[in-house]
Amino acid sequence: MAEVYQLKYLTGRRLKVFLAVADRIVPADAEGPGAGNMATAGVVDWALGRIDPALRSQILMLLIALEFLGVLFGGRPFTRNSAAAQDRELKFLENSPVRVLRLGFFGIKSYACMGYYAREDTWKSMGYEGPLVPDRPFPDDVVRALCQGRIEVVA
Amino acid sequence: MKREYDVVIVGSGAGGGTVADRLIPLARAGARIAVLEAGPHFTREYFTQREIEMMGLLWHNGAWPVEDGSITLAAGKGVGGSTIMYTGVTFRLPDAVCVEWNVPGITPDELRPRFERLERELNVIEPGEDMVNDNNRLFKEGCDQLGWPVEKIRLNLKDCDQNGFCNLGCTTGGKQGTMELQIPRAVAAGIELVPNCEVDRVNEGSVSATVRPAPAGTVPGPWPPGKAELKARAVVLAAGCPGTTGIMMRSGMDDLPLLGRYITMHPALTVYGIYPRAIKNYRGFPKTYYTPKFSLSHGYYIETAFYYPFISTKHLGLWGQDLKETMKAYTRFMTQIVLNHDPATADNRVVIAKNGALKLRYKIAPETVSSLCHAQAQATRIFFAAGCEQVIMPCADRPIFKAGEVADEKLEQFITPKNFLSVKTPLSSAHPQGGCRMGAGPDHSVTDPLGRVHGRPWLHVADASLFPSSSHVNPYLTIMALAERVAEQVAKALP
Repeated sequence: MAEVYQLKYLTGRRLKVFLAVADRIVPADAEGPGAGNMATAGVVDWALGRIDPALRSQILMLLIALEFLGVLFGGRPFTRNSAAAQDRELKFLENSPVRVLRLGFFGIKSYACMGYYAREDTWKSMGYEGPLVPDRPFPDDVVRALCQGRIEVVA
Repeated sequence: MKREYDVVIVGSGAGGGTVADRLIPLARAGARIAVLEAGPHFTREYFTQREIEMMGLLWHNGAWPVEDGSITLAAGKGVGGSTIMYTGVTFRLPDAVCVEWNVPGITPDELRPRFERLERELNVIEPGEDMVNDNNRLFKEGCDQLGWPVEKIRLNLKDCDQNGFCNLGCTTGGKQGTMELQIPRAVAAGIELVPNCEVDRVNEGSVSATVRPAPAGTVPGPWPPGKAELKARAVVLAAGCPGTTGIMMRSGMDDLPLLGRYITMHPALTVYGIYPRAIKNYRGFPKTYYTPKFSLSHGYYIETAFYYPFISTKHLGLWGQDLKETMKAYTRFMTQIVLNHDPATADNRVVIAKNGALKLRYKIAPETVSSLCHAQAQATRIFFAAGCEQVIMPCADRPIFKAGEVADEKLEQFITPKNFLSVKTPLSSAHPQGGCRMGAGPDHSVTDPLGRVHGRPWLHVADASLFPSSSHVNPYLTIMALAERVAEQVAKALP
């Protein structure tokens, strides 16, 4: 297994947008950081590699669309808006009368949650004790290493 | 690659596994029979009890939405079909539903001995008190306090170690799905099992399929990757809803006017309450109680449930600080699942998209939305009667609310259809049904009561696609009973 995990899909601006969105979906609080970090991005990037390429393209395009839509909610791209403006945009998408926008929000939210709540450090923070067969190997050992924080994620 | 068979069975879940099992005498008598399974052949050792690693047990990694995105479908993809990831919940088809189906020859009296025999063979038990975890105990206490009927869920288990990870694949084999019982018996009797083999088309006398390489860690099949052309005297489609319909549509069976229509989804809404102390619903057997109280009056059952962290975030429908704070109480979650008896309408159907993908075109009926909202009010009552401090109800005016914040008599005004928003309100389905409804003639059905496709005596259907309308209950036992009838017909028709 490689010593680092190089992001393949969440790259450049898409990574920045993903990290910003993930931090609003699961925000930081007094007890710890939110979902917007490289550990979450690594898990999500791994999962994106396992879906239909057409769907993956849509999700990645959506991140860019989300960035530019930010202008309507805070005057700047999503990543440069305040947390309040970012939340306004996400809330608009979640409740939009346009179904495809709601779907887009749901998709991004799902990936952010997957990346964060698959991580074992997150399990510890919520008291979840995890599998009863913790050491059973999985053929693709990268995802286990990502979830256990045993591999550095790099852009 | 070309091969010849007497019978080709497509699918290895509740339907296909049962047909294979019932054709064992035929195989022993020399008939050549193959079971083609689109998914991999997983073994117990593959199951790691981790959500993200086990996504591959499901079609589309468990994120298969209906066409408008309003419901996410969870369907098993592998040897065993959806019995890989079900919980073993065993219901007989209710007599009233059987009568409502109005299919000639399918009566409560005809099905009863089949159910009894299957239950014996499948090791169906009523769980003892030692199998009732805190979530289930509290659910029962809540129902008892309200004076509502609460019944044990019967389960097909043998030597279950109650590790709680049924939906991610059973690591011990205690859950008696077809990958544990019927398929191994069939293989031992000489029936050929071909995993990673997706059927593209069927025609009289032939089956066209594509074999894909076995994923790492799974059991390879007997055939090399590539196209496979089979000769078959009889074909049994048991690829589930919508898989079976999709194969028939791709095979150009346009003369069947109802093909793909009248699908139902058994829409499910999973709801959560927060108990004052840790109850660790992720340990112990997940489902042992349900209440039928609102089945006849409002069209749903409420069962106990359990889900892992990530899937719980989907069900909660929250984000931001609300999500994070709620998930911190994960060990205190009480969980219930509402299963709605949705109406069967012709407009709800399977379609093939331009890119060839299979789609479920399904519109949620207003009465289903009303029913799901009513159910949330009742689930709230159960949670609070059981002692929960707080509940999360997606269709409430304020999704998170505490005990005492909303007067009991106001719950139905607080949780209403006006708060239902398709896609935002998190619905799921693990029991899609219909698309090849059985009945008397081609104007009203796709198959006859024995699963024979109209006008094609060589082609049979043996899965939930046959259901004319919702089974109301978790469907695997009904599928098996119907599949048994189909197998008897196939055996009789082969000289």
